[in-house]
Amino acid sequence: HEGLAPGCHLYPFNVTIHSDRRSTCRGTHLVYACVGYCESSAFPSRYSVLVASNFTHNITSASRCCTISKEAKVKVRLDCPRGRHHDEIEILTARACRCDMCRKSRY
Amino acid sequence: SPSVNLRRFTGCAVREFTFLAKKPGCGGLHITTDACWGRCETWEKPIVDPPFIDSFQRVCTYNASRLVTVRLPDCAANVDPSYSYPSALSCECGVCQTRTTECITSA
Repeated sequence: HEGLAPGCHLYPFNVTIHSDRRSTCRGTHLVYACVGYCESSAFPSRYSVLVASNFTHNITSASRCCTISKEAKVKVRLDCPRGRHHDEIEILTARACRCDMCRKSRY
Repeated sequence: SPSVNLRRFTGCAVREFTFLAKKPGCGGLHITTDACWGRCETWEKPIVDPPFIDSFQRVCTYNASRLVTVRLPDCAANVDPSYSYPSALSCECGVCQTRTTECITSA
Protein backbone atom coordinates (compact mmCIF):
# COMPACT_ATOMS: atom_id res chain seq x y z
CA HIS A 1 0.00 0.00 0.00
CA GLU A 2 0.97 3.59 -0.62
CA GLY A 3 3.97 4.21 1.60
CA LEU A 4 2.36 2.98 4.85
CA ALA A 5 0.99 6.49 5.47
CA PRO A 6 -0.88 7.20 8.71
CA GLY A 7 -4.54 8.00 8.19
CA CYS A 8 -7.28 6.29 6.22
CA HIS A 9 -7.33 6.60 2.46
CA LEU A 10 -9.20 5.57 -0.68
CA TYR A 11 -7.59 2.55 -2.29
CA PRO A 12 -8.57 1.53 -5.84
CA PHE A 13 -8.97 -2.09 -6.90
CA ASN A 14 -10.65 -4.00 -9.71
CA VAL A 15 -13.62 -6.16 -8.84
CA THR A 16 -14.66 -8.90 -11.27
CA ILE A 17 -18.21 -10.20 -11.10
CA HIS A 18 -19.47 -13.47 -12.58
CA SER A 19 -23.16 -14.06 -13.22
CA ASP A 20 -22.91 -17.71 -12.09
CA ARG A 21 -20.39 -20.36 -11.19
CA ARG A 22 -19.66 -21.10 -14.85
CA SER A 23 -18.94 -17.36 -15.41
CA THR A 24 -21.31 -17.22 -18.34
CA CYS A 25 -21.45 -13.45 -18.06
CA ARG A 26 -18.74 -11.36 -16.43
CA GLY A 27 -17.75 -7.78 -15.87
CA THR A 28 -14.92 -5.86 -14.23
CA HIS A 29 -15.10 -2.44 -12.61
CA LEU A 30 -12.72 -0.20 -10.69
CA VAL A 31 -14.04 0.46 -7.19
CA TYR A 32 -12.52 1.90 -4.02
CA ALA A 33 -11.86 0.43 -0.59
CA CYS A 34 -10.64 2.33 2.49
CA VAL A 35 -7.24 1.23 3.73
CA GLY A 36 -5.11 2.84 6.38
CA TYR A 37 -3.42 3.16 9.69
CA CYS A 38 -5.47 4.68 12.54
CA GLU A 39 -4.24 5.26 16.09
CA SER A 40 -4.79 2.70 18.82
CA SER A 41 -3.32 2.13 22.24
CA ALA A 42 -3.53 -0.26 25.17
CA PHE A 43 -2.79 0.59 28.79
CA PRO A 44 -3.57 -0.52 32.38
CA SER A 45 -7.30 -0.35 33.16
CA ARG A 46 -8.67 2.07 35.75
CA TYR A 47 -9.77 0.60 39.05
CA SER A 48 -13.47 1.05 38.15
CA VAL A 49 -12.94 -1.11 35.04
CA LEU A 50 -11.15 -3.75 37.11
CA VAL A 51 -14.04 -3.91 39.56
CA ALA A 52 -16.70 -3.95 36.83
CA SER A 53 -14.96 -6.85 35.07
CA ASN A 54 -14.36 -8.81 38.27
CA PHE A 55 -10.60 -8.12 37.85
CA THR A 56 -10.41 -9.91 34.49
CA HIS A 57 -9.90 -6.86 32.24
CA ASN A 58 -6.62 -5.44 33.49
CA ILE A 59 -5.85 -4.01 30.04
CA THR A 60 -7.90 -1.33 28.27
CA SER A 61 -7.59 -1.04 24.49
CA ALA A 62 -8.73 2.21 22.88
CA SER A 63 -8.82 2.20 19.12
CA ARG A 64 -10.12 3.59 15.90
CA CYS A 65 -10.27 1.79 12.56
CA CYS A 66 -10.19 2.80 8.90
CA THR A 67 -13.81 2.80 7.74
CA ILE A 68 -15.89 3.81 4.73
CA SER A 69 -17.57 7.09 5.72
CA LYS A 70 -19.28 7.74 2.41
CA GLU A 71 -20.28 5.16 -0.18
CA ALA A 72 -22.02 5.04 -3.51
CA LYS A 73 -23.55 2.38 -5.71
CA VAL A 74 -22.05 1.70 -9.11
CA LYS A 75 -23.52 -0.41 -11.89
CA VAL A 76 -21.27 -3.07 -13.35
CA ARG A 77 -22.21 -4.30 -16.80
CA LEU A 78 -21.82 -8.04 -17.27
CA ASP A 79 -20.93 -9.03 -20.80
CA CYS A 80 -22.26 -12.39 -21.94
CA PRO A 81 -20.84 -14.67 -24.67
CA ARG A 82 -21.94 -14.18 -28.25
CA GLY A 83 -23.40 -10.78 -27.43
CA ARG A 84 -26.43 -12.21 -25.63
CA HIS A 85 -28.23 -10.06 -23.05
CA HIS A 86 -26.18 -7.78 -20.85
CA ASP A 87 -26.91 -7.96 -17.15
CA GLU A 88 -26.18 -5.15 -14.74
CA ILE A 89 -25.23 -5.66 -11.12
CA GLU A 90 -24.96 -2.93 -8.49
CA ILE A 91 -22.03 -2.90 -6.11
CA LEU A 92 -20.74 -0.47 -3.51
CA THR A 93 -17.69 1.72 -3.79
CA ALA A 94 -16.11 3.94 -1.15
CA ARG A 95 -16.27 7.69 -1.79
CA ALA A 96 -14.61 8.85 1.45
CA CYS A 97 -12.75 7.24 4.35
CA ARG A 98 -12.26 8.09 8.00
CA CYS A 99 -10.61 6.75 11.14
CA ASP A 100 -13.75 5.96 13.14
CA MET A 101 -15.28 3.31 15.40
CA CYS A 102 -14.10 -0.27 14.96
CA ARG A 103 -17.57 -1.61 14.21
CA LYS A 104 -16.83 -5.19 13.45
CA SER A 105 -18.56 -7.69 15.69
CA ARG A 106 -15.50 -9.92 15.92
CA TYR A 107 -13.35 -7.01 16.98
CA SER B 1 13.35 7.18 21.24
CA PRO B 2 13.36 10.84 20.11
CA SER B 3 14.53 9.80 16.64
CA VAL B 4 11.13 8.22 15.92
CA ASN B 5 8.69 10.67 14.34
CA LEU B 6 5.40 9.76 16.02
CA ARG B 7 3.31 11.66 13.47
CA ARG B 8 4.52 9.38 10.71
CA PHE B 9 4.84 6.17 12.72
CA THR B 10 2.99 3.07 11.56
CA GLY B 11 3.09 -0.19 13.45
CA CYS B 12 2.71 -0.99 17.14
CA ALA B 13 5.36 -0.41 19.78
CA VAL B 14 6.00 -0.28 23.50
CA ARG B 15 5.59 3.29 24.73
CA GLU B 16 5.82 4.93 28.15
CA PHE B 17 2.49 5.67 29.78
CA THR B 18 1.76 7.51 33.01
CA PHE B 19 -1.40 6.97 35.01
CA LEU B 20 -2.78 7.56 38.48
CA ALA B 21 -3.22 4.31 40.39
CA LYS B 22 -5.95 4.67 42.99
CA LYS B 23 -8.62 2.69 44.71
CA PRO B 24 -11.14 3.46 47.44
CA GLY B 25 -9.59 3.82 50.87
CA CYS B 26 -6.08 4.67 49.64
CA GLY B 27 -4.16 7.65 48.31
CA GLY B 28 -3.27 7.84 44.63
CA LEU B 29 0.13 7.06 43.15
CA HIS B 30 1.46 8.30 39.81
CA ILE B 31 2.99 5.38 37.94
CA THR B 32 5.00 5.42 34.73
CA THR B 33 5.07 2.09 32.96
CA ASP B 34 5.38 0.46 29.53
CA ALA B 35 2.16 0.26 27.51
CA CYS B 36 1.35 -0.02 23.79
CA TRP B 37 0.73 2.61 21.15
CA GLY B 38 0.69 2.73 17.39
CA ARG B 39 -1.17 2.55 14.13
CA CYS B 40 -2.19 -0.83 12.76
CA GLU B 41 -3.46 -1.59 9.30
CA THR B 42 -7.25 -1.72 9.06
CA TRP B 43 -9.54 -1.66 6.04
CA GLU B 44 -13.08 -1.85 4.74
CA LYS B 45 -13.69 -3.14 1.24
CA PRO B 46 -16.89 -3.53 -0.82
CA ILE B 47 -17.76 -7.11 -1.79
CA VAL B 48 -20.44 -8.45 -4.13
CA ASP B 49 -22.28 -10.67 -1.62
CA PRO B 50 -23.81 -9.89 1.80
CA PRO B 51 -22.87 -8.21 4.07
CA PHE B 52 -21.43 -6.22 1.09
CA ILE B 53 -18.55 -4.79 3.15
CA ASP B 54 -15.61 -6.93 4.21
CA SER B 55 -13.36 -5.58 6.92
CA PHE B 56 -10.05 -6.23 8.60
CA GLN B 57 -9.47 -4.74 12.05
CA ARG B 58 -6.37 -5.12 14.16
CA VAL B 59 -5.44 -2.87 17.06
CA CYS B 60 -2.22 -2.13 18.90
CA THR B 61 -2.31 -4.17 22.09
CA TYR B 62 -0.17 -6.16 24.53
CA ASN B 63 1.59 -9.23 23.17
CA ALA B 64 3.44 -10.10 26.37
CA SER B 65 3.25 -8.41 29.75
CA ARG B 66 4.27 -8.90 33.34
CA LEU B 67 2.20 -8.01 36.37
CA VAL B 68 3.69 -5.34 38.64
CA THR B 69 2.43 -4.85 42.18
CA VAL B 70 2.97 -1.61 44.12
CA ARG B 71 1.85 -0.32 47.53
CA LEU B 72 -0.53 2.61 47.49
CA PRO B 73 0.06 5.29 50.15
CA ASP B 74 -2.21 6.36 52.99
CA CYS B 75 -4.53 3.37 52.98
CA ALA B 76 -7.16 2.93 55.68
CA ALA B 77 -6.34 0.24 58.22
CA ASN B 78 -8.75 -2.31 56.76
CA VAL B 79 -7.73 -1.77 53.09
CA ASP B 80 -5.16 -3.88 51.25
CA PRO B 81 -2.60 -1.34 49.93
CA SER B 82 -1.41 -3.49 47.03
CA TYR B 83 -2.24 -2.44 43.49
CA SER B 84 -1.37 -4.57 40.46
CA TYR B 85 -1.13 -3.52 36.83
CA PRO B 86 0.31 -5.01 33.64
CA SER B 87 3.52 -3.67 32.16
CA ALA B 88 4.06 -4.36 28.47
CA LEU B 89 7.06 -6.47 27.46
CA SER B 90 6.05 -6.43 23.79
CA CYS B 91 3.14 -5.13 21.71
CA GLU B 92 1.50 -6.27 18.48
CA CYS B 93 -1.26 -5.46 16.04
CA GLY B 94 -3.86 -8.04 16.99
CA VAL B 95 -7.48 -8.75 17.79
CA CYS B 96 -8.74 -7.13 20.98
CA GLN B 97 -9.26 -10.08 23.35
CA THR B 98 -12.49 -9.36 25.21
CA ARG B 99 -11.63 -12.07 27.75
CA THR B 100 -8.70 -10.09 29.18
CA THR B 101 -9.18 -6.63 27.72
CA GLU B 102 -11.71 -3.81 27.98
CA CYS B 103 -12.11 -3.01 24.27
CA ILE B 104 -13.27 0.54 23.65
CA THR B 105 -13.62 2.32 20.34
CA SER B 106 -14.62 5.87 19.58
CA ALA B 107 -15.57 8.09 16.66
